[in-house]
Amino acid sequence: MEQTQKAIYRRIYVWEFPVRLYHWINGFTILFLIITGFLIGNPLQLFYANEAYQQYWFGTVRFIHFVSAFIFFFNFLVRIYWGFVGNQFARWTNFIPLKKARWKEIVNVLKVDVLQVDPSMRIEIGHNALAGFIYFFSFLAFAFQSVTGFALYAANSQSFLPKLFTWVIPLMGGDFAVRQWHHIFMWVFIIFIIIHIYLVFYHDYIEGRGTTSSMVGGWKFEKDENINNDE
Amino acid sequence: MATKRIVVDPVTRIEGHLRVEAVVENGIITDAFSSGTMVRGLEIILKGRDPRDAWAFTQRACGVCTTVHALASVRTVEDAVGISVPKNAELIRNIMEAALYVQDHVVHFYHLHALDWVDVVSALSADPKETSRIAQSISHWPKSSVGYFKDVATRLKTFVESGQLGIFANGYWGHKAMKLPPEINLLAVAHYLEALEWQKEIVKIHAIFGGKNPHPNYLVGGVPCSINLNEVNAINSERLNHVSKLITDAMQFVNQVYIPDLMAIAPYYKDWGAIGGGMENFLCYGDFPTHGYNQTDSFKFPRGIILGQNLNEVVEVDARDPQQIKEYIKHSWYKYGAGDEAGLHPWEGETEFNFTGPKPPFDQLDVQNKYSWIKTPRWKDKAMEVGPLSRMLVAYAAGVTEVQDIVNDTLARLNVPVGALFSTLGRTAARGLETKLIVGWLKGFFDDLVTNVKAGDTTTFTKEKWEPSSWPQSCEGVGMTEAPRGALAHFIKINSGKIENYQLVVPTTWNASPRDPSGQKSAYETALIGTPIADKDMPLEILRTIHSFDPCLACSVHLYDPDGKHIHDIKVV
Amino acid sequence: MPKEMPTMREAIESKGYSRRDFLKYCSAAAAILGIEAAGLPSIVRAFETKPRPPVIWLHFQECTCCSESFIRSTHPIVADVIFDYLSLDYTETLMAAAGHQAEKSYQDTIKNYAGQYILLVEGSIPAGNDGVFCMIGGRSAEQIIQEAAKDAAAVIAWGSCASNGCVQNANPNPTNATPIHKIINKPVINVPGCPPIADVMTGVITHLLVYGGSPELDSQGRPKEFYSRRVHDTCYRRPYYDAGMFVESFDDENARKGYCLYKVGCRGPVTYNACSVTKWNGGVSYPIQSGHGCIGCSENGFWDNGPFYQHLASFPGFGIESTADTIGTAVGVAATAGVAAHAIVANIRKRKLVKELKDESVEINDEDKGGNS
Repeated sequence: MEQTQKAIYRRIYVWEFPVRLYHWINGFTILFLIITGFLIGNPLQLFYANEAYQQYWFGTVRFIHFVSAFIFFFNFLVRIYWGFVGNQFARWTNFIPLKKARWKEIVNVLKVDVLQVDPSMRIEIGHNALAGFIYFFSFLAFAFQSVTGFALYAANSQSFLPKLFTWVIPLMGGDFAVRQWHHIFMWVFIIFIIIHIYLVFYHDYIEGRGTTSSMVGGWKFEKDENINNDE
Repeated sequence: MATKRIVVDPVTRIEGHLRVEAVVENGIITDAFSSGTMVRGLEIILKGRDPRDAWAFTQRACGVCTTVHALASVRTVEDAVGISVPKNAELIRNIMEAALYVQDHVVHFYHLHALDWVDVVSALSADPKETSRIAQSISHWPKSSVGYFKDVATRLKTFVESGQLGIFANGYWGHKAMKLPPEINLLAVAHYLEALEWQKEIVKIHAIFGGKNPHPNYLVGGVPCSINLNEVNAINSERLNHVSKLITDAMQFVNQVYIPDLMAIAPYYKDWGAIGGGMENFLCYGDFPTHGYNQTDSFKFPRGIILGQNLNEVVEVDARDPQQIKEYIKHSWYKYGAGDEAGLHPWEGETEFNFTGPKPPFDQLDVQNKYSWIKTPRWKDKAMEVGPLSRMLVAYAAGVTEVQDIVNDTLARLNVPVGALFSTLGRTAARGLETKLIVGWLKGFFDDLVTNVKAGDTTTFTKEKWEPSSWPQSCEGVGMTEAPRGALAHFIKINSGKIENYQLVVPTTWNASPRDPSGQKSAYETALIGTPIADKDMPLEILRTIHSFDPCLACSVHLYDPDGKHIHDIKVV
Repeated sequence: MPKEMPTMREAIESKGYSRRDFLKYCSAAAAILGIEAAGLPSIVRAFETKPRPPVIWLHFQECTCCSESFIRSTHPIVADVIFDYLSLDYTETLMAAAGHQAEKSYQDTIKNYAGQYILLVEGSIPAGNDGVFCMIGGRSAEQIIQEAAKDAAAVIAWGSCASNGCVQNANPNPTNATPIHKIINKPVINVPGCPPIADVMTGVITHLLVYGGSPELDSQGRPKEFYSRRVHDTCYRRPYYDAGMFVESFDDENARKGYCLYKVGCRGPVTYNACSVTKWNGGVSYPIQSGHGCIGCSENGFWDNGPFYQHLASFPGFGIESTADTIGTAVGVAATAGVAAHAIVANIRKRKLVKELKDESVEINDEDKGGNS
């Protein structure tokens, strides 16, 4: 009987540069948007001036929110584009489980990662099917925040882009309702971030494939045998 | 038997939607039924909401007597959770309420009521010189020159000759019951226009303290405006000067236009001192506190009840007592869990629709059963009249000297007995007299406010019990006030910081309600009985009595014959 | 007919416009009001021969605050409006006539001026339920509005009741109160507000009659002239908002200095109205200037956006004081707790994995080390 078990890991270039760039821009803009958004929803008395004209901090907070929103929005568009031209891990098919196999994988991931049973399952290299599907919903949330955000912004803008979304206001029953939903969806992002960051560490911790660093360098590590099985 | 079948539909120059069906025999009304024909379900909508928001909802009960519902509402919440408002807040609320009274009563007199007594067309034949002479003999009002009345007459003539009579089209001009000489008609028409222009001024007081009118802003725990004499963004000396000027103008208008006009017109209609009465009992919650809402003895209008027209005794009223005020729905389109005969104290009140009337379009209601959207309130199962007349009677009986003096003086000047108070004329006169008193009080409240601010007290709000977390788990309150139209109370039950039950018992509910289970009539139905109808085509007399109550719902008056037939074509059988 | 008063045409010509301008005005008015080309001659004739356009003002589920506001107009004053500008043939609040006589005024106008009269509506319509929640003269509000709107040249919905249902439309809307534009098949000029500002009301009417037809409307049928800006964007306290200087509680130090009311629930940022520019009661003040936040009374559904004293609405079913933030925080805490629990289980699993590997005696020899690098 062999005393050693050979496990040969190979580097795989999973996340292309545009995907990584998108990820970090997205991450930082969302962070800015949440912080500023939270302040806009519930401003603190941070600074005091004698006269209102002497300070503009709340205006600045809103300015950061708006600038971040524009970056966030275009970054999101780029990602959608990359979903059609990027590599197999960036493809839009990762996000919508059209095949039966993907649905099966979702069940498997639930068993392995969430319920912590049957640890012998084979692990997908890129997004696993469940993560991909959840990202799909997060994209919908991105779209929702963009649409509602621009619709609200249109009231103080003359540019054409926000004006494209003014139809949302009467549809949702007025600025108040749009604002309310825009605020509620901020919480979707906060909760997403909590779980997302945890899971990245979790996967690295359990699987040891370099999940965390992969979003920096693009490389993941995979057992040779798995790669061979893969197509 | 000559039975006249007359239809008056709708009655105009009121607020809301009301229908009165009356039986006319031999030119006299022998029976009447009053029905509110519009419902919005405010009490249902209020359930589960933040009690601090209730003022805004209930204020929308009425845009004519705007603010009184807001006041009753903040009082009921404050009463429930135990807040007493700062002195300045009490004074500003009094100022706003008094300003409303003055505006509302003047608008009622000139724009809602006067056209029942004043013949606009007859004014065309007036001699402006004579009108000017009369005007100058009764008042120091500056706009009393011959030229002024000539201009008014010319404007009126141009208007009439244009052929488009607008709001004056198809009025009761030339009616037998119109008794004023042309010169006084012209005087009244001139002041109709003056009052229309002036009334928009006095309400600026609401804009200053409450931001807008109609429907200024109120606040549980005080008033929303802050006072700061060192700041342009608060109530400061400029704002207070503005209020002061508006009060001065109001005093001038009331004392030099409204009251002299009332006293000039009344002598021609003394017969109405014997028509439109009939109510035995009068209720007044009292209002204008000067030392806190719970110090009822500090009220400018005392609280109490007159029973059986007995002015020698004032009976105490306690809105919290479950045995005193009850609402019935025997003849109203609602249902109670305890059945149609039951009466419920408003804290236990229920509002569940149960329309059993005919489907529109219809000619006539089934008055033997349910026939109104208005519930029927009773005090110890007695019907009560509320309004200016009730306030004056209760204050008179309670020994308020300024009320006794002004009432006695007026009775002497018109040379009518005390009994004439219980009538259509009495109601209209009482409204004028209380306006004269209130405009004086208005000045007093303002002076007190200035004194208080000068002494360094600028607080207008108490934060102490603002947060619902500081309230008892469950509590109940009653907010009583006197609306221009009469006694108004809101009843609230709060549970876990939310409204569990909210009931409004409004003046028009007392006056315009249908019969109670024992068949007792409310004020409108009582007062119409015995009213003569001189001209079957133009039942002006009904308008006079109904308008004397200043109804707070747009109404339609129907008269029908004893057989219950409703005929649109008018003929004498 | 005696012609002491200038007709619409004379009025326009006296201002230096030609007959051609007048016709252009009429066709513009007709086009905007949705009148067919065939109806144009009648509107021309109406303005040529009728000194003042006939107007009908109907009342349904309302509190009459719109009528009260209307008579507060300071420029023009309402006496001039009803004596010189238009012929207010039917208004339950002011008209002398009642009953048959009032009904006659109404019928005369809709018959004699079919296609020419302006219909002003105050109040919402309780739709369905056989109309029993609002009946006038034995007829339901719905029956009356359909009849009156049929031949109206223009329909103006006064106030929030007629424009979007207002308080009776608030949840649970017990009487199915419905705004006018959802009842009738005609363009409606919505003039929301509870009530609308008096001078805005007379402004809309004058725009219609004097300045060439219907004012330009936004997607919700509101005149852009008065409803294109948020109360917030034109508020004189806006600098305090941008500076982050807020009233924390009524009558606190900041309130006495007139800081921004955003944190005590001001709806200015989500409300389109002219309050902070036109102001109320002849420009005397507006809610924010008098220390109370805007409650958003010209916005659709504003009653259900409460409580009015917090910036975010309370969440239905979660009690008054729970906003999106309190619920979000709760969910966030739950997520973190879930994550923590998961981490503990994962740790146990990892230990098992490591143990298994050890049991399988994984040894890394030198060859492998070299080979991997």
